[in-house]
Amino acid sequence: MVEADTRIVLDWDALEVGETFDSYEYVLTQEMIDTYREGVMDPEASFPTISHKVDVKQYNARYRDAGSVNARCAFYCYNPPMPGKRITVRAWIADKYLRRGKNYIVTEAVSVDEDGRLIDRVITHELKQPTEVGKKWGG
Amino acid sequence: MGRLVRSYAVGDELTPLVKEMTQEAINLFEGSAGALGPSQFTDEETARETLGTEGTVASGRMSLSFAIELMRRFFGSEVFNHAGTVDLRFLRPVRPGDTITFTGTITGVGREANGSRVSVEIKAENQRGDTTAVGQGSAVVPNAYLPQDE
Repeated sequence: MVEADTRIVLDWDALEVGETFDSYEYVLTQEMIDTYREGVMDPEASFPTISHKVDVKQYNARYRDAGSVNARCAFYCYNPPMPGKRITVRAWIADKYLRRGKNYIVTEAVSVDEDGRLIDRVITHELKQPTEVGKKWGG
Repeated sequence: MGRLVRSYAVGDELTPLVKEMTQEAINLFEGSAGALGPSQFTDEETARETLGTEGTVASGRMSLSFAIELMRRFFGSEVFNHAGTVDLRFLRPVRPGDTITFTGTITGVGREANGSRVSVEIKAENQRGDTTAVGQGSAVVPNAYLPQDE
């Protein structure tokens, strides 16, 4: 049986800047780190947290929308995460804006490990009309 | 590993970083966080439905990872992994089969309380010469990593 999607349908106009999401926790395993490093073809890649997309994970758990495209992403390195440590993420809506008739949502997240080490901060601007990619860049 | 002590000047160029994008690399990147279901990154049909593209695209976060690698190689992991930033705007999709070259040029060096902030302009181009991403990065280089006369 398929579970009903109980997420809120996104109302961009009603979305409030500053809205915070529930903390999100996960354990970063050595396997995750190894797979990330293989994917980015960099055996010394130090921030496998990037592929976890933690800034939008809680947004996507709360809201349902037509999808999105990453338009801009900023990343701040503080301390590389260590395997086996539980990481706690706090995320919130940092901004929203309308540009050339298109809607954007900016999410921000900070990750801290179980020892209180600050890991990283990520800020992402997502275009909420993903079909613009196909219209502009075609096949 | 010894401490990398060096000076920085506006106009200095970072060693370019070249990446050959494959679907396998995209799948590994997405799968590394447990995202195993079909997505616009891993499944052509989902990409067609969501993006209107013929095929899959790579997440902008892969380009972000590559820009971070470009910067880390230049500044050294001891510096960049603790005081580095990258801010990229994604201008064109990166697809499997693309070869992306990341370049960087120092645009500013300024004193801060805990060292010097070195700012870098970053650009990514595909094999056709199209710019796929642009942005800035920076690192605060502690005094201990700068020549003593600076």
